[in-house]
Amino acid sequence: MFLQRLKLIQFKNYLQKEFAFGRGFNCLSGSNGMGKTNVLEAICYLCLTKSCRGLQDRQLVLHGKDFFRLEGDFGKEDFSVKAEEKLEVVAKVIPGKRKEISLNGVPYTRLADHVGCIPLVFIAPEDHLLVMEGGEVRRRFLDLSLSQIDHTYLYELMKYNKLVKQRNYALKQFAEQKRFDATLIQGYNSQIAPLGDLIFHKRREFVEEFLPHFLYYHSLITGGKEEVSCVYRSSLEQAGMAELLREQLDRDRLLQRTSMGVHRDDLLFSLSRKPLRKFGSQGQIKSFVLALKLAQYRLLFEKKKVKPLLLLDDLFDKLDASRVLNLLQLLSKEPFGQIFITHTESEALRILFAESGIESPVHYCIEPGSVQKL
Amino acid sequence: MNYPSKFLEDAVMAFASLPGIGKKTALRLVLHLLQQDKDKVDEFMQAISKMRHQLKHCKKCHNISDQELCNICANPSRDPSLICVVENLRDLIQIENTGTYKGLYHVLGGIINPLEGIGPEQLNIQSLIQRSKEKEVKELIMAISPTIEGDTTIFYIARLAQRPELKISVLARGISFGGELEYADEITLSRSIKARRPYGQT
Ligand SMILES: [Zn+2]
Repeated sequence: MFLQRLKLIQFKNYLQKEFAFGRGFNCLSGSNGMGKTNVLEAICYLCLTKSCRGLQDRQLVLHGKDFFRLEGDFGKEDFSVKAEEKLEVVAKVIPGKRKEISLNGVPYTRLADHVGCIPLVFIAPEDHLLVMEGGEVRRRFLDLSLSQIDHTYLYELMKYNKLVKQRNYALKQFAEQKRFDATLIQGYNSQIAPLGDLIFHKRREFVEEFLPHFLYYHSLITGGKEEVSCVYRSSLEQAGMAELLREQLDRDRLLQRTSMGVHRDDLLFSLSRKPLRKFGSQGQIKSFVLALKLAQYRLLFEKKKVKPLLLLDDLFDKLDASRVLNLLQLLSKEPFGQIFITHTESEALRILFAESGIESPVHYCIEPGSVQKL
Repeated sequence: MNYPSKFLEDAVMAFASLPGIGKKTALRLVLHLLQQDKDKVDEFMQAISKMRHQLKHCKKCHNISDQELCNICANPSRDPSLICVVENLRDLIQIENTGTYKGLYHVLGGIINPLEGIGPEQLNIQSLIQRSKEKEVKELIMAISPTIEGDTTIFYIARLAQRPELKISVLARGISFGGELEYADEITLSRSIKARRPYGQT
């Protein structure tokens, strides 16, 4: 996939702005806070129907306006025989009131149907949180990958989460009212169990296929001197979801929430058999998460048979100057396709690309009050 | 908006409090009533007031009714062996409008949704379980939207009502049966009642 044209209307700091991008590297340079990352945010929104940084719709509208609109013309590179096909994605959002995303003029009835249509991988300075924070961010990484690959995954996950929430509320109300309704809990269990088993199965299979790509990219980035691993941990390894719900019922009643299930899954990251969070240096953590993202790209590409868009926010955050050159060379070859890079120094970017021997990229310079194509 | 009269404003606000009615539409309705005879407006008011004060709920199926028993329950030509379980009056009226269903109803008054504070005890579920134990009742038809909350409600009722001689069925999820009963047209609805399938079998 590649994005040919992007138009932002009343989005973040843009009143109205149109960009034309190339199929290879695209650079956005400018001082911090001038809106480079907002362009990436817009691309993300058109692909995943939401902010990549967890921002609410009302935080995405230009200050003082009540709606925003995004338009993107995407091209499809089919690897078999078919020529390019154009996909026009438009998002019209009035925060809190209306949110419409349409593909070639046809609005989606369910936004989740759009996820995965244009696969995307986002590499950002905040990625180290994948290591530093709790299991929720790592589950989100799994879910974002799987929901782009597997069309029904997002529905199964949303249904599972809603059911667990209902079950938890019921448990809370029972505790408050000092009573218990076994039939109602059985009703939730019987709906949760098959979904939990399915999600577990899909996540396990994903991590199995993901691991070799991760190890490959990690050794490519670091020179292969470190032993790393990424292991899927789930309470469903011990027993099926139905059994867990049954066995843990007394505990669940006491805690007033569902204590076991795929909503507690995690990924264990380790370096030389020790927990990465505790024993990894800043540099080691950055290489680790970069390898996670590149592997995510690779697997999305294999599964979808189209090249995902790759967004790299702040190129020099992850690596020092000498390694950045290696990374650019890696990204200029297969299987990578269209890439968006942001950086503060436009001159440094220019020199870097000149040195690399890679064809010069499309380059926008974003400064106060002006966006210039170099 | 500024109104030349406080009385007018109050009337506009009253109409605008109804679902789907904005202030512009409310003003149009109020101005229309202003042109009518006073008697006619009084009749209009009484119709609404009577509806609210005089209407009862059927003690058997919780349908709205002018008597103790609603005209569906009181009708001897309706088949008492069938009970169609619906979420609310709107769904009952919609199924009645298909003209093809000849059994009785049971109005739950909502579906189980702990997130919204609605548990089984807030709904007309106990009276349904009692009714389902009567010998003449042969089948419960669950005409409930197949949402998470709907499925939970169906499971709950089915579990409590089950006995060997009682059939429990759910509506066929037809081609254009889009999920919510509210949006199903009459032909689709009528078809999905006829093609209902036993609960627990997919
Ligand atoms: Zn009745």
